[in-house]
Amino acid sequence: MPKFYHDDEAWADIAPLPQDDGGLHPLAAISYSDEYSEAMGYLRAVMAKNEYSDRVLGLTEHIISMNPAHYTVWLYRANTISEIGRPLQDEIAWLNPTALKHMKNYQIWHHRHTIIDALGSADGEAEFISSMLEKDSKNYHVWSYRQWLVKRFDLFDKPEELEWTHSMIESDVRNNSAWNHRYYIVVGGREGKLSVELAKQEIGYTQAAIRKAPQNQSPWNYILGILRAAELPKSTLKDFTCEFADVQRPEEVYSSHALDILADIYAEEENSKENAAKALELLATKYDPIRANYWNYRKGLLDQPNIAA
Amino acid sequence: MSLVSGPGRAAVAGLPGDMHLFVDKHVRYIQRLDSRKDELEYWLTEHLRLNGLYWGLTALYLLGHPDALPRSGILDFVFSCLHEDGGFGAAPGHDAHMLYTVSGVQILATLDAFGELEDRVKGGRQKIGKFIADLQDPKTGTFAGDEWGEQDTRFLYGALNALSLMGLLDLVDVEKAVQHVHSCANFDGGYGTSPGTESHSGQVFTCVGALTIAGRLDLVNQEKLGAWLSERQLKNGGLNGRPEKKEDVCYSWWVMSSMAMLDKLHWIDGEKLTKFILQCQDPELGGLADRPGDMVDVFHTVFGIAGLSLLKYPGLEEVDPLHATIRHS
Repeated sequence: MPKFYHDDEAWADIAPLPQDDGGLHPLAAISYSDEYSEAMGYLRAVMAKNEYSDRVLGLTEHIISMNPAHYTVWLYRANTISEIGRPLQDEIAWLNPTALKHMKNYQIWHHRHTIIDALGSADGEAEFISSMLEKDSKNYHVWSYRQWLVKRFDLFDKPEELEWTHSMIESDVRNNSAWNHRYYIVVGGREGKLSVELAKQEIGYTQAAIRKAPQNQSPWNYILGILRAAELPKSTLKDFTCEFADVQRPEEVYSSHALDILADIYAEEENSKENAAKALELLATKYDPIRANYWNYRKGLLDQPNIAA
Repeated sequence: MSLVSGPGRAAVAGLPGDMHLFVDKHVRYIQRLDSRKDELEYWLTEHLRLNGLYWGLTALYLLGHPDALPRSGILDFVFSCLHEDGGFGAAPGHDAHMLYTVSGVQILATLDAFGELEDRVKGGRQKIGKFIADLQDPKTGTFAGDEWGEQDTRFLYGALNALSLMGLLDLVDVEKAVQHVHSCANFDGGYGTSPGTESHSGQVFTCVGALTIAGRLDLVNQEKLGAWLSERQLKNGGLNGRPEKKEDVCYSWWVMSSMAMLDKLHWIDGEKLTKFILQCQDPELGGLADRPGDMVDVFHTVFGIAGLSLLKYPGLEEVDPLHATIRHS
């Protein structure tokens, strides 16, 4: 049902302000949605007199339902909430279904940050995030928000956080956002060096995930990140990478990422330059030819003394 | 400039053998965008109007048709979005925000119109510079988008971009901004919106752009990042924004401009990417879409064309990968 204001007694004191299009073009007759146009006219009018009230709250809700990306409306709503002292829980309760309807909107997230930060509690947020990710498991806003929650409420050592990340990886081992979140709670968001013990645990975890889908960039990136954080050499992974690639058997390569790491491991060994060159050659010609120039560049580096590619 | 999508769709089955860029169709497409005020979507995208004008204008310059829109009309509109405090809103009556302020400055730079700015608003350049500088967080060095305080490396890059176009970088703490960008570097070599957030090609562009402006590319692990960026190319030639995501024409810009700044453009297959971009055209009504078969819009149109410019597609003007504007010789 469209909602109009001109025949609503509660708005009889407001004269809507017309659109000013800045004079770029002489306006032809505008026949865009009467409902949206009228609501915007009333918003301009209440903004002009700095009115903050329940009816303004309703008006912003109405406009957001039609056009959630209109950032000025959100800003005015936030000011209204604080001016009239609306309970923050009520705002979150309204925000949840609104966010589910508008998955890629920036304004909703900033609004949520502000409200949850002021509330000082993350209760219920995990459930809300799960319902968002059910609709789009890689939504950038949702994952960034989850990181913010971990930091704001210091959830790094809460076992549920790692378990939840595991369940997200389990349901889609190719979800790069989930791997990134895991890195954030294990290493990235923390102070200090990663212990060798924890690194080993993570390496084992990641190896199991790679065996499920060897041609999957995310866990390979993750495992290299863990090695670097724990200051372990790439050669730690030599036996593991050989499960997926062997330069002596060029027909049986199951992961270009394994070949890539193997090339680095060989390059650092004495007397294995030839194998490194073979691995890079296979990548350039057979397993990742679209990036031939990159692999050939890496091959060129082998001839230089003391490289660490 | 309208952000309305369509009217046409990119060709679904690919174009015939002699695939080429339909320059005249795209020029007409952009010229017609503002005649669509009877469509609801025109008004629902009002919050992007100034961005849209920058996208359309930049596309026209790259296509070699800089005069296809009236200069004075553009300037009238741009100045009508400028607030007293030096910030630009998306359209008249919209609040000032970093994203529109950057578009406003990019348009003024493209039209070489800083003189007209001073004629209309005394001390205008300084006012805009101050609006941007005031959004820097003195503690962390990053930038907010507006008084509301949302922070993102997009805003940081936008700030340095606009200030460098106006010659006003000294208004902000560049070193602090640089350190913030550096703290956003991830384990996979990429960058996110803030420290620890997932690497994303769009954010890589903003971070590499900011560091390039600051002259601090030495902080970037260039080989690792170059490798990550080149890994964005999929078998169909198109580029994606993150691992295991779909290709999209706009990444032709975000990925390629970053690679251009790192001098690694040759690490992707330019021929395949060119083909992919050309397949995203609507050969009849003009415009480009995110991928073949989808609706066209001005955003994908400019970034597809800018990608082709970086690939040295014949007949196109040269794009400046750093400022995302036409390169004035």
